[in-house]
Parts: sequence; C-alpha cells; structure tokens
Amino acid sequence: MRVKKTLGLALAAALVLSACSDDGDDNSDGGGGPDTADIRVWINGPDTPQAARDWLKTEFEDANPGSTLTIEEQEWEGLVERLTTALSSDDETPDVVEVGNTQSSTFTTAGAFSDLSDEVGDLGGDDLLQGFVEAGSYDGSTYAVPYYAGSKYVFYRKDLFEKSGLEVPTTLDEFVDAAITLKEDNPDPANFSGFWFPGQDWRNGVSFVWDAGGDLAVEEGDEWQGTLSSPESVAGLETVKTLMDQASGAAKDGNEADAQVPFCNNEIGMMSVPGWMTGLIDNADTGCPDMMKNVGVFPLPGSDGSPAPVLLGGSNIAVSANSPNQDLAKDAVALMLSDEFQTILAENGLTPAKTSLAPLLGEDEFAQATIAAATDARLTPPAAKWASVEGARILEDLFVAIANGGDLAELAAEADEAITDQLN
Amino acid sequence: MALTTRPAKSTRNRTLADRAPAVRKAMLPYGLLLPALIALAFALGYPLIRQVMLSFQEFGLAQQFGRPPEWVGLQNYRDLVSDSYLWVLVLRSVVFCLVNAGLTMVLGVAIALLMRLMSTPVRLVVQAGLLIAWAMPVLASLTVWTWLFDTQYGVVNWILERLGGDFAGHSWLIEPMSFFLIATLLVVWMSIPFVAFTVYAALTQVPQEILEAAEVDGAGPWQRTRLVVLPSIRPVLLVVGLLELVWGLRVFTQIYVLQQAGGVTRETNLLGTYVYRSGIGEGEFGVAATVAMFMLALTVLLTAPYVIKMIRDDREMA
Repeated sequence: MRVKKTLGLALAAALVLSACSDDGDDNSDGGGGPDTADIRVWINGPDTPQAARDWLKTEFEDANPGSTLTIEEQEWEGLVERLTTALSSDDETPDVVEVGNTQSSTFTTAGAFSDLSDEVGDLGGDDLLQGFVEAGSYDGSTYAVPYYAGSKYVFYRKDLFEKSGLEVPTTLDEFVDAAITLKEDNPDPANFSGFWFPGQDWRNGVSFVWDAGGDLAVEEGDEWQGTLSSPESVAGLETVKTLMDQASGAAKDGNEADAQVPFCNNEIGMMSVPGWMTGLIDNADTGCPDMMKNVGVFPLPGSDGSPAPVLLGGSNIAVSANSPNQDLAKDAVALMLSDEFQTILAENGLTPAKTSLAPLLGEDEFAQATIAAATDARLTPPAAKWASVEGARILEDLFVAIANGGDLAELAAEADEAITDQLN
Repeated sequence: MALTTRPAKSTRNRTLADRAPAVRKAMLPYGLLLPALIALAFALGYPLIRQVMLSFQEFGLAQQFGRPPEWVGLQNYRDLVSDSYLWVLVLRSVVFCLVNAGLTMVLGVAIALLMRLMSTPVRLVVQAGLLIAWAMPVLASLTVWTWLFDTQYGVVNWILERLGGDFAGHSWLIEPMSFFLIATLLVVWMSIPFVAFTVYAALTQVPQEILEAAEVDGAGPWQRTRLVVLPSIRPVLLVVGLLELVWGLRVFTQIYVLQQAGGVTRETNLLGTYVYRSGIGEGEFGVAATVAMFMLALTVLLTAPYVIKMIRDDREMA
C-alpha cells in the first residue's frame, strides 16, 4: 500500500511540475489575440483619480462586449523589479502597464513593450507630449506613449506663513530662509518641518543640484559619467544639507510617500509634492478637508527668481509584448488617451498627455503653479540603463547619507562611481 | 529518506548467504527511489542547471525578453571575486547567519525545556502564542514591526521617550548596526516557534525511566539536562540547527522590507538581497546568478561539518 501511495504521490508531483514548466504558446507571431478577454491594466499609486478608473472600465466593457477590464494598482516603490518579473512571463504579464517616464527606456530597449508606432498617429500624434514620446521611443519606433505629466510644486501653510510674517519666497535663498524660520517658529511638535525633506527623497533633491548648475550624469563620448561630485553639484547638495539639517523634521531615512499624513498632522510648513496631493488632502478618508483653506501653492523658486528646474514627473503607458491580447490592450490604451479620459485627469490636477487639453487645468492658483513648475522641468539622464541606477537605490542611499551627516564631497564621489558603473 | 535506506541495509546483510538473487532484490529499493529522484531533478535540478548556465552568460533585461545571451566564460566570476563589496557581503552574511541561528537555537531550546515544566494551561497559552507568531503571514507581521519602530510615529520611540530617553525622531534603521539589530530581532522572533515546537516534540520522546534512573543516581537538574536530555535529542538538534543555518544564510524578506522602510541599502545588503537587487532590480541576471553560486558554495561550506556529523551519527546508530 505504501509503495502505491508513494508512487502515486511522485507521479502527481511530476505532473504538477511538468505543468508548471509548460511555457504556453509563443505570441511572437504578432497575432492580435482573441476577441474577448480579461484585460489587466497596471496603474501605479493613487495618482489616477477614481472617476477616471470607473470611466475606463465602463467604456471598455461597453465597447468590447464579453471582455472585462481589471485595474490592478501597483506601488511606485519597487515597480521596476515587479515589471521585470511580470512582463517577462507569458502567463503572468499584465496587458497594459503604466511606467514612470524615467523608467521607460529600460523596458523599451529590452523589448518588453509592443511597437505602437502605427497607432501613435491615432492616439494624438504631434499633440502628445513630445518629451514623453521620446522617452518611450527606441531605434526609431515608439513603444510607450505619454499618460500624464506633472511636476512637483510647493504646498505651504498660509496661516503659519502669516504667523511668522513671511511672504511667498521668490528666490531659492528666500525659500531656504523661510523654511528655517518656520522650523524655528514652530518648536512643537519636535518633528515639525519648515520644509519637509525625508532622506530618500532624491527626486526633490535633484532640483537643488540642477539649480546650482550641476547634474546627475553626463555623456562623454560613448561613456556615461556620474557628475554629482562636480563643484556645481556639490554646491547644490550643500543646499540640500542645509534644508535637511535646519529645516526638516522628516525621517532621515524615510521616503516621500504619504506626505498628506504629516501635513494633516500639523507637522509641515512647506512640502514639494505632486499636484494630485490636493485630492488626497481634500478627502475626508485620506486627508483633512478642513485644512484646505490654509493651503497655498507656489512653484519652487530658483536662484535667479524664475522657477527652479524640477524633475519632470509623469508616466507613460505601454502594451506588454508578451500579452496574448494585443488588439484589446491597444483599445484600452486608446481609451486612456481619449479626450474624455484625459479631461478627467486634467480636472484632477494632472497635466494631460495632449498639449491641446492643457487649458482644462483651469486658472486657479494650483493650475498656475502646475504650469509654472513645468517651465523648466527636466528629465533624468537619457541613458538606456538609467533605471538600474534607480533599481540599485544609489540616489536614495546618497541622500539618506547626507541627511545623516556624512562628508558631502566623499559621498558624492562614491555615488558618482556607482552611477558610472551602472550606466556603462 | 531514512525510511527508504533501511530496507537496503537489511538486503545487504542477507547477500552474504545468497548473492545472485539478492542483486535483483537490491535493485528494487533503487527503483522505488526513482520517482522521487525524477521529481527532485525537475524541482531542484533544472533551476540549478539554469543558474550555473546563467553565471557563465552575459544575461540582461534584453535577454529576458528573448534576445540570445552571450557566453562570457568566467568573466562574471572574475568581476565578482575582484569586487571587494562581495567579500564584505560574504562576511556580513556569515556573521548575520551565525548570530541569528545561534540565538534562535539557544532561545528555542530554552523555551522547549521550559515548556516541559509548565502546567498544561500555561503551556497551551505559550504554544498558542508561538503558533500565532509562526503562522502569521511574513509581510503582515513585518508591516506591523516596521510601524512599531517607525521613526516618526512608532510606539517604541513613544514609550522610550516617555521613559525619559531622547528618542523623538530616532531612526532605528539608519545605522547599519542598529538596522541589523532590528533585523535579528525579527528573524529570531519568527524562527523561534519552529525550533521550540520541534525540540519540544523530541523532548516528549525522552524516556521518563532514564531520567528517573539518573535522578536516583544523584544527577542534579542541570546534569540531567546536559548529560541525559540533550544527548538523547541530539539528532533533532542537529537537523534543526542545520535548517536554521541554511535559513539564516538566505534571509531575504525581512531585510528587503526593512530597506524599503529606511536605512542605507548598500550598507545593509546581505547576499540574498544583493542577488535580488542585481538580478531583478538592475537587470543583471548573469551577475546575480554568479552571486547565487557563491551563496550556494557558502551554504555547503558552512553546513558541511553538520552534515558530516549527522551521517556519522547515523552510521553509529546502525
């Protein structure tokens, strides 16, 4: 009896294992896929408003009877890793994915996305944000199209500014002084931030480097070279250090997620966050709608008085090359770039993917800050392997080390070495 | 495995009397082993061979999506051996593994010994507590742990502050030593139940008569534990210790989650997280496979004395 049982178990195990190793059919023949399917769309973070999600699901299912569309929200943190594993699996791949604009090139160069060159014209053509189309293109073909853009700008507490007798700063020096004054004038709670600057937040930190004339990395010949230890970059990092040491009460090794929590907890005088943060603050479940009357915004000022260069935030969308439902997935992308869908995004403070829809942002304070912040928005270095720098968390490590009081020049030189190593 | 080898021994004993038919009989146990071997070959062999192959290739993201990989011979190995960071990682991982396995074993065995002396209701409460800690999904409990030690809103800082310490906004993860202290706490907390339960089960099998005899002979409690109880559960201790060593060396989830919550990634990587970061994070699968080969070699090296001891014990018993 025991022999039989063992044999049976072994057989069952072998069957299960062989079932697992079955690769399924290869989709490289470029077929459009079945007429009906369940389309899985990966959306990252809370950026996309609920109204837009509902609209997409309803429209897609109405237009494609028998098919369904499921939105699966992913965290931005660790996204590159998750996309790497999910996109390369025939069985597990989502059909449509949102990817950060700076992360696009890693996947387009690797062949993870389907070629959308034929569709770009219908999706908006020249009306699409060209910087994002470039970020999603490789070797003359377009693999990822813009989804939305949005650069960070500064949210501040009008009541605290008034109490300290501060005006909205117009230069970077004034901004730093205001941040320090706010911190000094609000000793309670002890973790109050004049300017909220958690240690891992390099995406804000890079603004100060750019403003001082420095950069993350530059291309010299065929090689990429980290340039954080250049005198200009180090000058920018000095400003970062001043803000972290004297104005911020945020965790020295914290990340920039969920800024609305300390903001609503009266722990923040100023913070540099994406425009859709308004939606989170003005929502009783996630934030503190009562606080809205005290919220003011302005674009981060540069040394010369014009808006400082900030990281051009935003996302691209793409169709997974391994998805068996190419046609349906492309339909979903078309809906996400439709005027109706993009209008919902614009109404929620996200810069739409089409330039013609930009006026929909409105004319209030928030819209003006959004537009002003974008005047000198920049991208991370256009190196094919840039996402590896983010994957290795080199910049997070650098800024945490700065927050923790290390030697600036030494840390910057170490980071340069690591960046150069990753990019080549 | 122990069950399947026994018939083989008894057959061998009989071969002395009658050789020829016994050879045919001796084939039977091996035939019975075959299905298990095939299953093992599929489940462990294929990934292992793939890993070895990867370690000789330049295999990046593009290869993951179908481009043919390039064979680079020993290049990956040469690069790694000459990278001082790898040796830092090896040292860090070995120390972390030994400390964690050691602490888990000592505390786990101590709890198991203690459980023998508890009254039934108390023991049930302890066992239920251990079981819950053991059964809790790792990510769920890790989320709670990171909240406990949160820099801004953590209850640990709050309590220490109330007790008069200067812990407002204290970051537990930013200094590597403090980071590994928390990591050790989590790993040990999660591993103790397994050790405690297994050792406790073994302890219930120690014959009461032997203990009584030792007591009559004048052995005190410490002597009885050291000279009678522990030697009789030695095989179990060896196996559990071996498992703890292996687990301690390939620890991943705890470190990864803590790195996400804070700390400096490069200063807190262990081999497990480094394999992940270089493979999945940076898309260098060839390099990651090579690091994994190092990990494998290290595991074999570290556990070899144990395995040899176990085999020797097995022979002595037979």
